[in-house]
Amino acid sequence: MIFAFDIIILVFLVVAALISLNVKDLLSASMIYGIYGFLICLLWAEMGAVDVAFTEASVGAGVSTVLLVATVFNTRRRSSD
Amino acid sequence: MLSKVFATIAVAITGSILLYGVSDFPAFGDPHSPANAGVPGSESVSLYFIEESYKDTKVPNIVTSVLADYRGYDTMFETVVIFAAGMAIFAILRVVGNKEETAAKAAEEDSFTNGDHNRIIVGTTVRIVVPVIQLFALYVVAHGHHSPGGGFQGGVILGASFIIIALAENLNAALRRLSELNYVRLAAIGIFIYAAFGIMAQVLGSNFLDYGALQPIFMTDGPEMARSHSMLGVEIGVAFTVTAIMFAIYANLASRGQLVKGL
Amino acid sequence: MIITAISVIFILAGLIFFIGGAVGLIRFPDFYTRTHAAGKGDTLSSLLVILGFAIYQLHDFESLSHDWLTLLVILKMLGISVFILITSPTSTHALMDAGWEDGTEPKIHRDRPNHLNDDCEKF
Repeated sequence: MIFAFDIIILVFLVVAALISLNVKDLLSASMIYGIYGFLICLLWAEMGAVDVAFTEASVGAGVSTVLLVATVFNTRRRSSD
Repeated sequence: MLSKVFATIAVAITGSILLYGVSDFPAFGDPHSPANAGVPGSESVSLYFIEESYKDTKVPNIVTSVLADYRGYDTMFETVVIFAAGMAIFAILRVVGNKEETAAKAAEEDSFTNGDHNRIIVGTTVRIVVPVIQLFALYVVAHGHHSPGGGFQGGVILGASFIIIALAENLNAALRRLSELNYVRLAAIGIFIYAAFGIMAQVLGSNFLDYGALQPIFMTDGPEMARSHSMLGVEIGVAFTVTAIMFAIYANLASRGQLVKGL
Repeated sequence: MIITAISVIFILAGLIFFIGGAVGLIRFPDFYTRTHAAGKGDTLSSLLVILGFAIYQLHDFESLSHDWLTLLVILKMLGISVFILITSPTSTHALMDAGWEDGTEPKIHRDRPNHLNDDCEKF
């Protein structure tokens, strides 16, 4: 565990989470959610939980982004709030 | 607008309370914290796993041995949850519609793809890459008890390889390789494999999912190697279910339950 | 010693191309040039950095029978670099193709012909 590296990843994580909540375009929100999943995978791998990081890389950053994009493609692209 | 202000205040209060709670936590990796060393009078279970799991199961990866053996019941119903999620999406989205209309749409889609010059590059790359991805997925499943990985990760990667085929060509090309009937069968067979390992242990006179009793079936030296081999079998079952359900969710979401003309 | 120096040269060259890609992503005017900068820069720099790591693994390599695990690590890194070499340009191409089909306007000089519209008629 490297403390400075942790802090940098955590700052990017909070920024990605806030952007994906606030952006109006749902396609961009899904993409930034994928970035969030990849960052948290990086954090877990760096902390030594490699199994969890592997799951997050395949599920959170890979397949769930595709599923979200497929859903956005079949519904509306703009957020209503 | 007002609701956003209230939501922000609620989130800020909850977050500050959580951060206040975090300040009482032991340091990262502290060997004397209660989770690692236990409290006086009762020893911690993680010490037992670190010291004894290799002797019990002959599996070097402690995570897999805990997940598939010590907590096997938990993992089995996790797989059932994934199966239930896939069946729920199937029940909500799948449209069993007009057969002729469906066939006409599929024919139109095929003719569209054949004339589409733009997909040559992506299609060729997918043709090269998909076998490598599937081989890697099988490696992750089969090597899950020696290195990071296992049934869930390998199953997701294997399901993602079918999703890539569907994205690069069309949904029909992926459904030709893993048809709807086959993925529903595959999902059920995965859970059946997992439960069969538990019931076989019961038949041989032990508890449900106590893999050590399977020693006469695997013909190993002791119950430890039988537990190791059973973990591999169980992970293969999990991988079947996860592969099928991941592809089923994508196919139903992308085509609005019609299973033709995906994204 | 000389192997370490070669690997450092490779990694530094990769980092320089990373900086080029990042600057291009910010400074270029429209979608196509930005994707071009990101795709080319990222592909080449990832390849160079991974090759640098693979060369660095050789620095205490003594014999094939003794150090075959190190050789395995190097082979895995070469596999990753081949995978990046195939997939990264393809994803850049797919992104640009999607932008072209969507009708994203490139920024071009007003005297030069714009072929965007006569190709978009087909879709």
